[in-house]
Amino acid sequence: MGRVLTNQGGGRRWWISVGLLGLLFVLLALVVPLAVVVQRSLDAGFDNFADALASASFIRSLGNTAVLAVGVTLCSAVIGYPYAYAMARSGRVVSRILLTALMLSFWTSLLVRSYAWQVILNDTGLVNEALQFLGVIDEPLQLIRTPAATLIGMTHILVPFTILAIFAQLRGISPDLAIAARGLGATRTRAFWSVTFPLSLPGLAAGSLLVFVLTLGYYVTPQLLGGAGNPVIGQSIVEQTNALLNTGVGSAMAVILLLIVVVILGVAARFLGLGRVLGLATERSDR
Amino acid sequence: MKTGLTVRIVGIVIAVLLVVPTIVICATAFTSGSAVSFPPQGFSLRWIEDVLGDRRWTRAFGNSFAVGLLAALFSMVAGAALALGAARARGAIASVFTAISVLPMIVPLVVGAIGFYLVYARLGLTGNVLGLALAHGVLGLPYVFVNVLALLRTLDPRIEEAARVHGAGHLTTLATVTLPLLAPATVVGGLLAFVSSWDEVVVATFLSDARFQTLPVLMYSQIRSGVEPSVSAVSLIVTVVTFAIALAVFAVGPIRARLARRSSRL
Repeated sequence: MGRVLTNQGGGRRWWISVGLLGLLFVLLALVVPLAVVVQRSLDAGFDNFADALASASFIRSLGNTAVLAVGVTLCSAVIGYPYAYAMARSGRVVSRILLTALMLSFWTSLLVRSYAWQVILNDTGLVNEALQFLGVIDEPLQLIRTPAATLIGMTHILVPFTILAIFAQLRGISPDLAIAARGLGATRTRAFWSVTFPLSLPGLAAGSLLVFVLTLGYYVTPQLLGGAGNPVIGQSIVEQTNALLNTGVGSAMAVILLLIVVVILGVAARFLGLGRVLGLATERSDR
Repeated sequence: MKTGLTVRIVGIVIAVLLVVPTIVICATAFTSGSAVSFPPQGFSLRWIEDVLGDRRWTRAFGNSFAVGLLAALFSMVAGAALALGAARARGAIASVFTAISVLPMIVPLVVGAIGFYLVYARLGLTGNVLGLALAHGVLGLPYVFVNVLALLRTLDPRIEEAARVHGAGHLTTLATVTLPLLAPATVVGGLLAFVSSWDEVVVATFLSDARFQTLPVLMYSQIRSGVEPSVSAVSLIVTVVTFAIALAVFAVGPIRARLARRSSRL
């Protein structure tokens, strides 16, 4: 009879009206602004889109963004997988250390981390000083304001998402499976590649997709580390709206970015489930 | 089966790389020199004192705190409401509640920033706490939604039914039974929303002006005009505040577990 009270008839209508309160807030605070961006992008027919796509620097920024997103995703997978594996399958002490380090990094402000990489990669920064001290180089290397600097900083900022997604998946795989494979004569390496790794792929895929999509929208880190020479989409959009005060074309670029993100997530949702990519599913499987 | 030594060593090396940037910045805040260098020259608190005595920085601190608190409040109210709707409605309506709640996670900040700017500027909501708190409130909402929804899935519906059976109305049950049960998850979500606001630059830049700046906005403009130890000192303070909140979030976890155990015994 409890179900009658909370979930049916008047009960359900009451909870729907509670939910509508939150819905109204998101509609007014976010959906209306997004609708205005779409409206502004179309205020001259499709001319704003034509202008955006005719701009060589915007097309270049699309290419830069794609290269950066692929790079960050690959680096995060290569660095994140062994980390997540060590975190999931090591003893208590090592696991604790790895988890603490991950959280320290994850909870450091994005702006502070971008600034830190600027300090580290500067002409007089940690890396150049160390290399000069060791006599590897005579003149400081140009590290800052290069695509490589953006790649390093972005990977550092986004790799925790890959790690957490793989870690959640690995924790759901019983270590007994690999032990069984070993018992049947497989080497440690063979047991990993033919048992554990294939089973962990959904986590790797979900984490990688999230990192890829998140990279597409970044602005601050590429601006601070990559400079204005090799702009990403975010920098093109801000330049149009803030420097050139052309909100029409800027909005068209923003709509293009939003469409790319929505299409990628839509395709991902078909294969992996959107909840898994956004980390909602891992939240649930944790308990 | 435990991992091999190689995997553990690789893990530790990556762990060091993960924390190095944070350590470098915190260390450079204590330099006695006038340039940001690592290892820092000497040891002094002069840059931290400098920042704490500078009206521009302290005002930005105040703005960031005010925006973060108000944003967290918006996130908590709207996020908990949407989670209740999503958990207790059925079918298409529940899906709409979920979709609208994860929307803020999906929209790239630059895109949102332009939209906020176009609409909020017309309503006089730029250059003040309220406008930025509304924007940050909606962006932080998914944190509350996810946490509250997860708790709702484990909640025993009989507790609320008991209140209803004893004659409490919908509103009384919500205020005296449901919301107190959801409080730990709502607070965790709210803390996460506060941190995301505390750290946010792009939207804040669009919605700020010369007289109203938050900490990240001021830091960002300082970093762009040249690296200086005062920025490291601010970074240190920002990091300390964030880590204190992180500890609070991890502390609420056990409280939540204890409450869940207690409620399941009822």
